[in-house]
Amino acid sequence: MHLNYLANIGRYIPEILLVILMVGLILIEATYKEDEKDRRYIFITAIIGLVATFVAILFNMGGKPQAIFTNSIVIDDFSSLLKLIMVLGTIAVVYLSRFSKDIYETLKTEFVIMAVGILIGGFLLASANNMLTLYLGIETLSILSYVMASLKKNDERSSEAGLKYALYGGVSAGIMLFGLSHIFGVLGTIQFTGVAAMIPNLTTVQMAILMPSFVLFFAGIGYKIAAVPFHMWSPDVYEGSPTPVTTFFAIVPKIAGIAVLIRVTSVFFTVESPMKVGWIGLMLVVSALTMTVGNVTAIGQKSVKRMLAYSSISHAGIMMASLVMIGDVGIRAVLFYAITYLFMTLVAFYITSIVQDKYGNDHFDRFSGLIYRYPWMAVMMTVVMFSLTGIPPLAGFVAKYNILSSLINSKFYTLAVILGLNSVVSAYYYLKIVRLMVLKQPESEEAIEGFGFLNQMIIVVMTLPIFVLGIFWETIMSFANVSKLFIN
Amino acid sequence: MAGSNLLSWILWMPMLGVLGVLLMPKDKTTWIKSWALINTVITFALTLVLYCKFDQTQAGMQSAFNVAIPWIAQFNIFYRLGVDGISMPMTILTGLLFMLCILSSWTQIKKSIKAYFALLLLLQSCVFGVFFALDFFLFYVYWEVMLIPMFFLIGVWGGENREYAAVKFFLYTFFGSILMLVGIVALYFATNQSVDSFNILALSGGKFTQLNVTIFGQAVSFSKLFFVFMFIGFAIKVPVFPFHTWLPHAHVQAPTAISVILAGVLLKMGTYGFLRIAFPIFPDSAKYFSTAIAWLGLINVIYGALCAMAQTDVKKLIAYSSVSHMGFVMLGLAAMTVEGVNGAVLQMFNHGTSTAMMFFMIGILYERSHHRWIVKPDGSRGYGGLYTQLPVYSIIFIIGMFASMGLPGLSGFISEALIFLGIYQKFTTITVLALFGLLIGAAYLLWMFKRMFFGDVNPEVKEYNDMTKLEVAYMIPLCIAVIVFGVWPSPILNIMKASVGQLVSLMATF
Repeated sequence: MHLNYLANIGRYIPEILLVILMVGLILIEATYKEDEKDRRYIFITAIIGLVATFVAILFNMGGKPQAIFTNSIVIDDFSSLLKLIMVLGTIAVVYLSRFSKDIYETLKTEFVIMAVGILIGGFLLASANNMLTLYLGIETLSILSYVMASLKKNDERSSEAGLKYALYGGVSAGIMLFGLSHIFGVLGTIQFTGVAAMIPNLTTVQMAILMPSFVLFFAGIGYKIAAVPFHMWSPDVYEGSPTPVTTFFAIVPKIAGIAVLIRVTSVFFTVESPMKVGWIGLMLVVSALTMTVGNVTAIGQKSVKRMLAYSSISHAGIMMASLVMIGDVGIRAVLFYAITYLFMTLVAFYITSIVQDKYGNDHFDRFSGLIYRYPWMAVMMTVVMFSLTGIPPLAGFVAKYNILSSLINSKFYTLAVILGLNSVVSAYYYLKIVRLMVLKQPESEEAIEGFGFLNQMIIVVMTLPIFVLGIFWETIMSFANVSKLFIN
Repeated sequence: MAGSNLLSWILWMPMLGVLGVLLMPKDKTTWIKSWALINTVITFALTLVLYCKFDQTQAGMQSAFNVAIPWIAQFNIFYRLGVDGISMPMTILTGLLFMLCILSSWTQIKKSIKAYFALLLLLQSCVFGVFFALDFFLFYVYWEVMLIPMFFLIGVWGGENREYAAVKFFLYTFFGSILMLVGIVALYFATNQSVDSFNILALSGGKFTQLNVTIFGQAVSFSKLFFVFMFIGFAIKVPVFPFHTWLPHAHVQAPTAISVILAGVLLKMGTYGFLRIAFPIFPDSAKYFSTAIAWLGLINVIYGALCAMAQTDVKKLIAYSSVSHMGFVMLGLAAMTVEGVNGAVLQMFNHGTSTAMMFFMIGILYERSHHRWIVKPDGSRGYGGLYTQLPVYSIIFIIGMFASMGLPGLSGFISEALIFLGIYQKFTTITVLALFGLLIGAAYLLWMFKRMFFGDVNPEVKEYNDMTKLEVAYMIPLCIAVIVFGVWPSPILNIMKASVGQLVSLMATF
């Protein structure tokens, strides 16, 4: 059979652009002398390249979904929308890293290059349509992440974070590969569609092997999105890594992980089968655990970054909750959630990063009385905290509401109540920041240089969608609604 | 002004006020205060216009004022407003109390004046939203948004322990709302996501009696399950025992005006929720649980009164008396008779005015004494002999206290009498026991009065000035309200009669 490997390569332009960008950045980086401080061309090139990628993805959207490279990559609106979110997140993080003091000046260029690399991994994951692509995506994402986590070379915590990340990552990748090898061994195919076709008609023996294999397979993805019980690495890594890196980790790998989980669930488990029941049960338990453990642990944290790390675990849990009801309603809800999650996370981390740069740490008390010094920033942070809690009329509420309503629609009342009660728990620690910012007097009157006019403007602009999506969410919902997943 | 947009005007007028306050410079405090005052006066006038145009014969929503505009059409969410005989008294109460609160805050609030008035007006808009909303989603949005201004109003301008109180208030209410939200969404899907699936009126009438849901493999009645969810959501707001523990903290720590709003209007949102949502939508379950509700109401009455008696902080005493008085409202609701429900709605209004008076008076006293102890922690008397030193203050205080106690001739009496008439037809034992609540109520109020106003004159008290003209000015409307509605309650009873009758006859069919 003759296969045309390059058919429809046009749909692959965003990824190709990213690869060119990464190589280009490495070349530009090589022209700088070792001690040269201002490496602005790297940033300019990176942002131009990322914006070009963004535009390329936009052109890709709305077209007919297509599987390319002999069905190992699939380009559909679902993956494109998530890629847009990841690119936006990367652009914001690249800008943040430019003025952050948490990364050594000389290593900032490396950071940008690696971020683009991780983004390529994220794209691969979002589009993966066979086991091998999926594994490649996870590894591309992970290996660069390990380096990124230990970017503060002289800092003990950062090195610890990197090592921890690498160890955990290595083990879980191994476990996942082990599971995948069994799936391949039993079914004889690594194509998602091939696997999906066989799942409803398995013999008992096959099922006995495949059930645990899928659990092992899940371990790999669960590790990437820090689902409980694979979350142990996450707070340490989040706290130890430089703040821009943490911001990046909270967005790109997490969304890529959610994307692949949704795809796997919807491709493999649409037809009724005992496997489906088992998988849904697994997702149900893991998602309930993830949101609860993330929230409860976040309460006791003293560092804002660590608190945000735990809270992002619980948000991953909430996004996972939508997996228990397979179908358009759940996907639509999770896409909307991902969009709002992007903006909320960005604003929260931007402000934390700037405050941390000033004081050298991100203890809660550093936020005391922020409203008396930078009222706009305190208001934006308050908005984000209320939005993360899920108070209307902010976007976070609509996002949670959509997940909740799709859960209730599928009659998962218990999970819906658990989700709701988790919001109450999360309100406690989100309010803690609000309380400090608004109800306490400031510790010092020194100016925080990071809150210059431009940065304040950027933060305000990033907060705007949280308002707008909270009141006028119909357009984005319809947009998410048509971003259907393509199952070949 | 077109009559049909009147509700929107009332709802958005305070938001206009917020906008105006935000645009004013921070140091022009008199401008800000005057603007807020003008704004609330206009709003109050608008509620009076609404009252005048109110058609008392119409049982359901006043068709002249209904508003329904699609908001998120894809999910059948509407901007749907309406007013009937149950929400009308609450609307007037809200308009009145916020206006008086602006006056009361005029001199009492000293820090961050701009933010304070902006938040207060925002709160007013949200309260109107709750009383007007006929779309479940809209209702929930207003119900929740209200937490934000309340959190800051208690947290920033409150007493020493304000942060704890603010957080506790927020978490408690949020917990209740979440359960309510689950119920709202369940109703939405139970009615097949149709155009009317968020329409509170269309959902009413007991349509879910036959439906079951499966929880952990057990079939549970849909109606009973979600009635309990909604009940908890509203009960926290009322507050019904055992969900009342946030209230003493929030009341004591909040600044005067916010205590007034909290006791006068916000607690009523809970009972309003029963009347508008929980009862009409799940009449069968309301009937099923009515004995339990009545007992909870009784516990509120007795337990609240006993707690009040034990207090040495006068503000806490009044806070617990609110628990006790809201218990009477719950009793009236549980009776589900014409007299009972009429009494309950009237009590919601009357308690709003009388408790507001008490909290205002305590705030005025606090301005002079800077403490609120009837008996100080070291055992000495906090006040004493106020009666001889502050005659005007004492007279107004007596009016408020007796109205609160339910003395015949003042407003509290009529509503409590109606409630007893109503509840006696259903629960004889509870009626008898609840009467003891009245007795304890008289006891703790009179005992408080004796310790504060009679006896030897405390040297500190000699330095207090009597009420200023401003303070008298904002107490007079409330004095008039408690006296006039004590002898002539028909202006309120007449507007609620048709709507209450409709609700009661609906309940009677189950």
